[in-house]
Amino acid sequence: LAEILNLCDSQQLSFVLNYVSPRLKKDPFKSLPNELCLRVISFIDDPKTLARASQVSKHWHGLLSDDLTWKKLCEKHSYRRLSGAAGYSMSNQTHHHDSALFSANPISPKEATFAHALPSTSGFTSEISPQSLRAKRGRPKVTSYKSHFKQRYMVETAWRTGGKAIARHITPDQGVVTSLHLTPEYIVIALDNAKIHVFDADGQLLRTLTGHVMGVWAMVPWGNTLVSGGCDRDVRVWDMEKGDCKAILRGHTSTVRCLKMSDHKTAISGSRDTTLRIWDIEKGVCLNVLVGHQASVRCLEIHGDLVVSGSYDTTAKVWSISKGTCLRTLSGHFSQIYAIAFDGNRIATGSLDTSVRIWDPHTGFVTSTPFPMQACSDPCFRSSRNCLAVLQGHTSLVGQLQMRGNTLVTGGSDGSVRVWSLEKYACVHRLAAHDNSVTSLQFDETRIVSGGSDGRVKVWDLRTGQLVRELSSPADAVWRVAFEEEKAVILASRATRTIMEVFSFSPPADSLG
Amino acid sequence: MLEDVGEVTEAIPIPNVNENVLKKVIEWCEHHKGDPPAQADDDSDSRKKSSDIDEWDQKFMQVDQEMLFEIILAANYLDIKPLLDVGCKTVANMIKGKSPEEIRKTFNIQNDFTPDEEEQIRRENEWAEDR
Repeated sequence: LAEILNLCDSQQLSFVLNYVSPRLKKDPFKSLPNELCLRVISFIDDPKTLARASQVSKHWHGLLSDDLTWKKLCEKHSYRRLSGAAGYSMSNQTHHHDSALFSANPISPKEATFAHALPSTSGFTSEISPQSLRAKRGRPKVTSYKSHFKQRYMVETAWRTGGKAIARHITPDQGVVTSLHLTPEYIVIALDNAKIHVFDADGQLLRTLTGHVMGVWAMVPWGNTLVSGGCDRDVRVWDMEKGDCKAILRGHTSTVRCLKMSDHKTAISGSRDTTLRIWDIEKGVCLNVLVGHQASVRCLEIHGDLVVSGSYDTTAKVWSISKGTCLRTLSGHFSQIYAIAFDGNRIATGSLDTSVRIWDPHTGFVTSTPFPMQACSDPCFRSSRNCLAVLQGHTSLVGQLQMRGNTLVTGGSDGSVRVWSLEKYACVHRLAAHDNSVTSLQFDETRIVSGGSDGRVKVWDLRTGQLVRELSSPADAVWRVAFEEEKAVILASRATRTIMEVFSFSPPADSLG
Repeated sequence: MLEDVGEVTEAIPIPNVNENVLKKVIEWCEHHKGDPPAQADDDSDSRKKSSDIDEWDQKFMQVDQEMLFEIILAANYLDIKPLLDVGCKTVANMIKGKSPEEIRKTFNIQNDFTPDEEEQIRRENEWAEDR
């Protein structure tokens, strides 16, 4: 045979090659039993290849519809379940196990708050049936890992490079947006011109709540209820569906600066008058006045029966809601506290002294916790036994703070965003985020979204710390940003107007099936 | 496999593996006999790093497709997991990054979709092409 080939010219050889080479080729998925084919497929973790391979032939298409492959891919991408399939719970973890898709143990949609977007505050969401909400938007129910993967992948792609502005609302107001909340049904914003605007989840204005006579500086939604407070010293309870004011709670003698709810009828307010007040909003009465701070109460956070407050008197205090008493005072900061986060186990405080402190709300510091060097060298450490760590790095006021599991993200007037590990008490990423102050900050298990007074909104990869993109075009200043799985809302000032922009990252309805 | 058979002195028949393939398998085993034993959770761990195959194995797998698939079948039959994985990875790498038509060419596969079906399946899978 070799001799014959030796006699051939190149044209003949190329004929031989074309004749022979297909015969040396074989469909691996026909030569191997299905079990081995799936094993081959399991080594491909790139969805593009999988999608292309499914277009090769009927046989390949069948093999690539095997849901186990897509389940593994979901796991590799750490895609949690899509919120469309069942009820919500409060869990924070990414689900890697089998039940991730079909069990009733998903991720909370959580109320997106800014300075302290703690999942622990999102109790109200459990009262709402998310199923009906999603159904309203007409998304088909997830029936397989493949379609689940497809949905997640499309949402992620949209977050990276796509997304569309579904609403752009130019308010007649020129006011400063003091707070923004996303709930499953509403987008609510409060302004320093005394107004509160309620939009539906897609950004259409439903109504404006009027009644406050001065700037609104704090508010908290709970289902259809909204509690608000501000410079006029009144705490107001609203029905967002009807638009009426259900109660006016009086007692504070200065600006109400922070507000949270611990259950459907209990609201807690913090004020410049140095006190916190616990209100029964159904009966419209003040249950307790928490006295102890020496200066304005700037921020507060609730978990279970505990409320923690941060004050301009440089301390934070832990209070029992039911008893109405102060349990402990956390002292150590050298300057005013502006932001606080609390998950039941740890308290994080951000201060004008540029540091962030981590505290144990229950006892002295836990001895099993690795002891950070910087804490040892801190002269204040010994006197404040609850302080677990002092996180240094910001060069200016730390006004934005969110804690989630072992991750803490902080933002400061120095324009930087820092990601911290609460296991190592160390800075994981330092993001040069904004030219000026970070005005707003939120993160989930995949991304951080930050807004700055430089007018930019930036999306970051939480794991790598890389800038993913800028959202929207630069404005004069960004007041607030908030996001959910498939939506982001920006409140910014453009040409002296206050503008709300709603971005959707949902795949088009006809692309899902 | 030997554990299943127990202590025997007679030859073990391997009816499903032809001589050439068996030679290759033995060559592979000889080369890898000094390897540390795979960890118990090898199934989840090593398999994650999908495309890395060491150089020797890559060379070893440079055989015609028929032989490659025979090796995979033999490795499966003889229960040699690491070899099975190398084989499967090799096939996976032949698929990665290729268009449907390129895959068909690589393995000489007939496109048995009607044009309508093909268009529909292409649309179904468009989502993955975006990024």
